[in-house]
Amino acid sequence: MRRDVRNLNHVFEPDSIAVIGGSPATGKLGHVVLKNIMDASFQGKVYPVNPKYREVLGLRCYPDVHSIPGKVDLAVFAIPAEHIPSVMEQCGRKGVKGAIVLSAGFGEIGRKDLDEKLSKAVKKYGIAMIGPNCLGALDPSKRLDTLFFPFYKLGRPRIGEISFATQSGAVGSCIVDMAAHFGVGFAKFASYGNALTIDDADLVEYFGSDPRTRQIILYLEGTKDGRKLFEVMKKVGKKKPVIVLKAGKTAGASQAAMSHTGNIAGNYTAYQAAFRQSRVIEANSLAELFHVVNAFSQPLPKGRRVAVLTDGGGLGVLSADAIEAEGLQLAQLSSETEKVIREVLPQYGKVGNPIDLIADSGPEEYRKALDALLADPNVDSIIVIVLFQAPALDSSILDIVISASDQRKKPIFAVAVGGDYTAESRKVWDRYGIPSYDSPDFAVRALKKFTEYSLLSQKKK
Amino acid sequence: MPARIPEFSLLEKHGIRLIPYGIAKSEKEAARIAKRLGYPVALKIVSSEISHKTDYGAVKVGLKNEERMLAAYDDIMESVRGHRTSGMLVQKMARKGLEILIGGKKDPQFGHMVVLGLGGVYVEVFRDISARICPIRKEDVREMVMELRSNPLITGVRGIRPIDIASLEELMVRVCRIMVEEDIEEMDLNPVVFDERGYDIVDVRIRRGV
Repeated sequence: MRRDVRNLNHVFEPDSIAVIGGSPATGKLGHVVLKNIMDASFQGKVYPVNPKYREVLGLRCYPDVHSIPGKVDLAVFAIPAEHIPSVMEQCGRKGVKGAIVLSAGFGEIGRKDLDEKLSKAVKKYGIAMIGPNCLGALDPSKRLDTLFFPFYKLGRPRIGEISFATQSGAVGSCIVDMAAHFGVGFAKFASYGNALTIDDADLVEYFGSDPRTRQIILYLEGTKDGRKLFEVMKKVGKKKPVIVLKAGKTAGASQAAMSHTGNIAGNYTAYQAAFRQSRVIEANSLAELFHVVNAFSQPLPKGRRVAVLTDGGGLGVLSADAIEAEGLQLAQLSSETEKVIREVLPQYGKVGNPIDLIADSGPEEYRKALDALLADPNVDSIIVIVLFQAPALDSSILDIVISASDQRKKPIFAVAVGGDYTAESRKVWDRYGIPSYDSPDFAVRALKKFTEYSLLSQKKK
Repeated sequence: MPARIPEFSLLEKHGIRLIPYGIAKSEKEAARIAKRLGYPVALKIVSSEISHKTDYGAVKVGLKNEERMLAAYDDIMESVRGHRTSGMLVQKMARKGLEILIGGKKDPQFGHMVVLGLGGVYVEVFRDISARICPIRKEDVREMVMELRSNPLITGVRGIRPIDIASLEELMVRVCRIMVEEDIEEMDLNPVVFDERGYDIVDVRIRRGV
């Protein structure tokens, strides 16, 4: 691992932060970011650096980095681009190993000269630099938060095991906000902006070796060095699930192609190939990204055979259609399972899959059926559909599904379609790590990707 | 010194077997080659100036005997009059079977890659392709086949025998190697006609890097 990539520890888990350009003026970036670092209850030392002030937000302010008495792990830059290379050089001499450059005004507006000076300073000292032109980083477990969005507008995720790198600050911040809303926990987040030195591949590699990260998300528009990203994804993909949302799929097909291949296989084809070869799971939309991310709270399925348990026939049929369309299989239930179902529903003639418990079934019927399916050797995964609207069901059904999932025997995906009551109920599942979906096809599509990932990792071990 | 088709020579150099052919400079020579290959044959003008040969009427296929072959020869020479040509390709007619496209491309971000799809019009209409970054192994080719929506046509379906997948695997792995070793920008083997016993590579296009 490159020296500066290793030094990303100083970005995500610093003991001390200098905010270059920290300011008492409320409109300034240096004010917002400093305030957010403090509001997030960062536990280490915070040093505003600004020659204009003696004190900012109740903290002693330093005229330059050298005047700071103790060591500094991370420098967050909120000053105009012109001044950054020389201050970075000072940081290097001071022994700073992590940097986040929030400021814009570099290569993206044609200032390649500033890019050159900045990367020279950074490389000289092996500083891990995120940016420039980015949102910075989050590490909820360290209460590190350099995002310059106010807390009341943009939620922050709880502590978790997902690390997320994003090329776009805008999409990144939306995903962070959504994660907070859905109760999805994060280990680390970085918006890498122009990726002048630390790029997509470096972050994936770092997350791959980070002990607190168990799942990696990447939002990508384009990469500068596909080969490097490919090699890193192949390495990390063996250890941890990597889920990518790739934007910009249509552009890039070669204009001057002379061959059929050149015409039909655009740049996105190469990305797709790279994802497949490295076991990276591709989500096709923001919504699907979360659908797939949530699936990973469940144990991996051993095969494609799905059992569908429902108290609403129609939703079972919709699931069966989606299972067929996505290339999964409806499980052939074992005779033991059939026996249990017949005991549960004596009026039943033939027991099929989907298992339709019909609307007057209560939580107890669900419990028995779920236990049978968890024990059924012909079943690899379970989709449990709950019609919260039905009068026979009370909220104890939530607990029954959670208990079944807690056995960690097979993946259980929950589906509940409806309005406010249903949505509120699903939230309980979300908090307990039951992936739940408001449409059967969402559940099936996520299960398909989860299953493919599982089969591929079994095969290539 | 017999005329050469550089694309063919490149593949041959790497041990890829093309459908039997010869290059004729005259009608007499064409007749001799056709007799050696056995009828039916196909004729195709060899010319670096004409890229869409079919549109030009510079390709004639399914020529069953010498008489028809010679007539086709004249027709082609007539339709390419005024263009620089370097001979007439006489090819044995390809077997009947499944037309497959095997392609290669150098992607600006990821480097060399190979592409597999159904040949003919299917590939452009349905865009049913699978791609891999080079190098690949035979297992990758098997995965690529399964990724195609049209995979039953390859692996066998009611009344259609599966094609010779082992030779497809070997060919794809070789194409990948050529892409990298020769630093090729774009390549089409299209169509390659497969049946259960093997394949015939009918046409090749290659663009080298500058």
